[in-house]
Amino acid sequence: MTVQRLLSGAIYLLSGAIGILTFVYPFFLPVAAGGAGLYARSQQAPLLTAALVGLSVLALMVELQGQAINAKTVAMLGMLVAVTSVLRFLEVAFPLPGGFSPVFAPIILAGYVFGGRFGYLMGTFSLLASALITGGVGPWLPYQMFTAGWVGLTAGWLRRIPGVAGRRSEGSPNPGIGTRVLMFLAVFGFFWGLLYGVIINVYFWPFATGPVDQTWAPGIGLSETLGRYAVFYLVTSLVWDLFRAGGNAALILLLGAPMANALTRFQRRFRFEVGSHA
Amino acid sequence: MLDPRVWLLWAMTVLVTASSARNPLYAAVLLLVTMVVGTTCTVNGGRRAPLSPVHFAMIAIPLSALFNSLTGSSGDTVLFALPGWLPILGGPVTLEAIAFGAVNGLALTVIFSSFAIFNAVTPVRDLIKLTPRAFHDAGIVLSIALTFIPQTTGSLQRIREAQAVRGHRVRGLRDWLPIVMPLLMSGLERSMGLAEAMVARGYGAVSDDPQPLRSQGLLALGLLLLLGGWLAYLFGSAWRLPAIGIMLLGTLLIGSVLWSAGRSVSHTTYRPRRWSYGDGAVVLGCALALTLTLTQGEALYYSPYPRLTAPPFDPLIGVGLLGLVVPALVGKHREEETH
Amino acid sequence: MIQIDRLTYSYPDSTDRALSNVSLDIAEGEFVLVAGPSGSGKSTLLRCLNGLVPHFTGGTVSGSIIVAGHNPIVEGPQALSPVVGFVFQDPESQFVLDRVEDEIAFALENAAVDRTEMRLRVEEVLHLLDLASLRGRALDTLSGGEKQRVAIATALAFRPRVLALDEPTSQLDPQAAEDVLQALVRLNRDLSLTIILAEHRLERVLPYVDRMVYLSESGDDVLTGPPRRVLRQMNLTPPLVTLAKELNWDPLPLTVKEGRQMAMQSPIPDPKQRIRSGQSAEGRRKGTGARPQITVHNLQFAYNGASVLRGIDLEIGAGELVALMGRNGSGKTTLLKCIVGLLIPERGDITMRDSSLIGRPTAEICLDIGYLPQDPCDLLFADTVFDELKITLRNHDLSNNPPIKPSILMERLELGDVAHRYPRDLSAGQRQRVALGAVTVTRPQLLLLDEPTRGLDYPAKRKLVQLLREWQGQGTSILLVTHDVELVAQAADRVVLLSRGEIIADAAPEVLTASPLFSPQVARLFPGTGWLTADDALASLNGDGNQGPAAGVQRLQENRSTDGGDQ
Repeated sequence: MTVQRLLSGAIYLLSGAIGILTFVYPFFLPVAAGGAGLYARSQQAPLLTAALVGLSVLALMVELQGQAINAKTVAMLGMLVAVTSVLRFLEVAFPLPGGFSPVFAPIILAGYVFGGRFGYLMGTFSLLASALITGGVGPWLPYQMFTAGWVGLTAGWLRRIPGVAGRRSEGSPNPGIGTRVLMFLAVFGFFWGLLYGVIINVYFWPFATGPVDQTWAPGIGLSETLGRYAVFYLVTSLVWDLFRAGGNAALILLLGAPMANALTRFQRRFRFEVGSHA
Repeated sequence: MLDPRVWLLWAMTVLVTASSARNPLYAAVLLLVTMVVGTTCTVNGGRRAPLSPVHFAMIAIPLSALFNSLTGSSGDTVLFALPGWLPILGGPVTLEAIAFGAVNGLALTVIFSSFAIFNAVTPVRDLIKLTPRAFHDAGIVLSIALTFIPQTTGSLQRIREAQAVRGHRVRGLRDWLPIVMPLLMSGLERSMGLAEAMVARGYGAVSDDPQPLRSQGLLALGLLLLLGGWLAYLFGSAWRLPAIGIMLLGTLLIGSVLWSAGRSVSHTTYRPRRWSYGDGAVVLGCALALTLTLTQGEALYYSPYPRLTAPPFDPLIGVGLLGLVVPALVGKHREEETH
Repeated sequence: MIQIDRLTYSYPDSTDRALSNVSLDIAEGEFVLVAGPSGSGKSTLLRCLNGLVPHFTGGTVSGSIIVAGHNPIVEGPQALSPVVGFVFQDPESQFVLDRVEDEIAFALENAAVDRTEMRLRVEEVLHLLDLASLRGRALDTLSGGEKQRVAIATALAFRPRVLALDEPTSQLDPQAAEDVLQALVRLNRDLSLTIILAEHRLERVLPYVDRMVYLSESGDDVLTGPPRRVLRQMNLTPPLVTLAKELNWDPLPLTVKEGRQMAMQSPIPDPKQRIRSGQSAEGRRKGTGARPQITVHNLQFAYNGASVLRGIDLEIGAGELVALMGRNGSGKTTLLKCIVGLLIPERGDITMRDSSLIGRPTAEICLDIGYLPQDPCDLLFADTVFDELKITLRNHDLSNNPPIKPSILMERLELGDVAHRYPRDLSAGQRQRVALGAVTVTRPQLLLLDEPTRGLDYPAKRKLVQLLREWQGQGTSILLVTHDVELVAQAADRVVLLSRGEIIADAAPEVLTASPLFSPQVARLFPGTGWLTADDALASLNGDGNQGPAAGVQRLQENRSTDGGDQ
């Protein structure tokens, strides 16, 4: 049992580490590298990282999926992914600016209520289904899935942080979450909204700038690379990301409590006990 | 129609080749290839990307050129200089930097087009069938989502009407609540009904045993090898080959876990896809282009620095890249095969 | 085939028994009808057959059940899936894939059935359920009845020996329900398949049923035996049977044909004395003379270029109850949506007390008009029943001076006991009354109801009819879209028949007797009399028609006839 938990933790850790490293490597590449033959390496690097992230998503999925998920989980995940996908149509109805997307709030709430495993699967599947439907499959997909998955996974972990879940009133008619948790989740949603943008941008960055250009002038260092990224980020996405982050927080604050109530209500039907019988 | 796996291979090959082919002439050949394939193989009614490749090019190429010229300062042909006190932007603006940025934008456009085509020509259901056996349940989750999206959309419409007749008006984000909640609740209620129907039809007869320790260990080891190999690859130029070997080994380990997990899922296919000669031809074309990229990498590459010169063009390589145009010859969307 | 011995079950977190000491023996090839009000445990009993109860639901079981040599309680639903095919109530939530053929093959694929065998089985069930022409169709383009036939086909793909169906027609219109039930009759006759059907449209299946199981509300009283014997002992029966019991006909007729033969033998009073019982006649008087509550003039509506409504003219008087009938797609719901402003008509006018409704926002129109959509769940999202009413008031800025106090309205809707319960956990009938409360808390003068009896059991229907009468008495006009002929026979003052966007008849309910398509059972039993309900007939046959409306209403309650007879 302990070995199992240890291995499980190692898989999370390694998968996360690969992800983080693939996101930050462009900053270290010019420092780390040098010498001839580098160009070929740096050109294929984005592809290599996409493959690595893809593999780490797969590995974590195998670990989380276990041998089999039961029919209730499968049906509920499918239905929630359908609902989240349809929520995008609300955007068209009430146009909201920038990178705002109603996809994240349900992932965060589901992750919080049903746990990290469910949250991870819901995050990755939501983004995958969304990409399939809108024709958004591409080399960026593993990164999106990876990030959305971790949004759900970490939302599930919030429960374990002492003081977050706080006093959950068991007998009250509203079985969901209190104001304090709601605030915490809103901040969490804001933070992930920004982080998501940063991460998705970093994957795009080497594609967009061509890393070779940096190595042309060997003097270029970490600080300048970071500076260039900062400009790239400011120009391409900060405003969008702020809208996403703010939208997440607003959605969680406004709709979070009743949605979490609904999910919690369902959790009871979801898990049950078969009584003893003759 | 071509097999979706073949289309995926094609799109990946374009991706790999385009990221190597920084020679604008070869990049142009690739762009031409994707345009030809795009016009012959996509039909009306397919899933279109929200942004057409032409629009993408019009945005990506100038933006990339602008960005690179402003932030990079290499190159001999200085057009003008920005004052040095400007952080990051300051310094000379060179013709070479503009050219390099534009070529990057061109490569991006090629990559974007290839995946736009992939999305447009492969039916979603066929894509789901590509899910490996180990992720059989994941494939079903996606199937369910797709099946219920039209229904949920209809449900959304009915709920908006039902709330409207209660005097509900949408003014702000808060007014989403009366629409989102019934949608979510109905979805959850329906999921219980669906789960019941699936169980009644024998779904989920697999044992609920936890992941075997061995495969967990293999997964962790595989990830560790990937991470280590990659670090070695990045930081130690002398260890490049062993690093690749280590990463391959890690991939193999993870693959073996997937394979054994897939074997435990017994499943048959009602409507198998048959391999056609067309599929074979595309694979050969892709193989040709990939071989070129891997062996002639240096020739595909072109740098405008330090001074912009006319890029070289080897007709043989150009013809080789044309191998990617095969889908246009064999992958024509035939009407009688669609339902 | 099936042996059930003292089966007792309660759901988790519940002390009440859903099933209590049920014992039953079903032989191979029997067609068994399970009847009883909602909440009596019909669904639970069926789910015990394949182990969904307790394996899917949890809870406590005692007693034993053996199905074709298997023990579902021990083996579980997966092991039973090749033995018992199961069809559920809601045609919308049974499918995983999007195409007919693929959906049928889905379970076979998961069971790793060999491909040649699989194709054979798919072909076989497509043929059995007459679905061959639909095999390549997308499921969301099918009608409800076609979907249920596909659901039966998927259940039969494993070649089970038992087919269990949980109210498969309750969400369907009468024609679709008929198709589904006929398919079942064929399967039972041709294949000798054992069929266990929970159903409230008794009159449709009674002639084919070998045995009936009646579960009472409390779940501890189980009647079982041949249909004629069980029908004698139960309260809820179709109008034909109710009438026959009242007239002491023996044996009980199960079809109109059998009833006609009995009627020929018994003397029918002189035609001059044939009168309709009180309540409808009295109700009809209310509508006449008064100024119309709403006037629809030359209303035209087109959707994507196809015209849906072609010049509708309609007036509804104060306190009048008008039934709007017609086949699916004839434009009934479209008309309702045009009235409340959800759809904008191309031409024509709708006026309510001399002011036009055209162009006004839905929220404003609905202050005066209550509109109940088909599915009450589209409305409900609050935590309590009470909150649902308050939300509507808040939407209309009426929180401070409500036209009717929510607590009073809830009492009238018989929701007082559940005021603080979660609405979506209530029974179908209660849920519908909550939705009714949510749209009538503004005290509208006109009420539009879209298929209000769909999925309701008999007691819930009866409560609805009583409510409508009460509102009518207070001067509220009601426009009712329905397929339910018996409901129309009982409650309507006037019937409007719609066909392809045009009104083809607008007359008193007796117009129903003119067409066998819309005739209630009693009208077909006594053609030419103008009788529509069992009470009409009894009042005339017993010569107590002159006792007035009170006697009619009372008798209705005593007899508790089901009005499930559609068409």
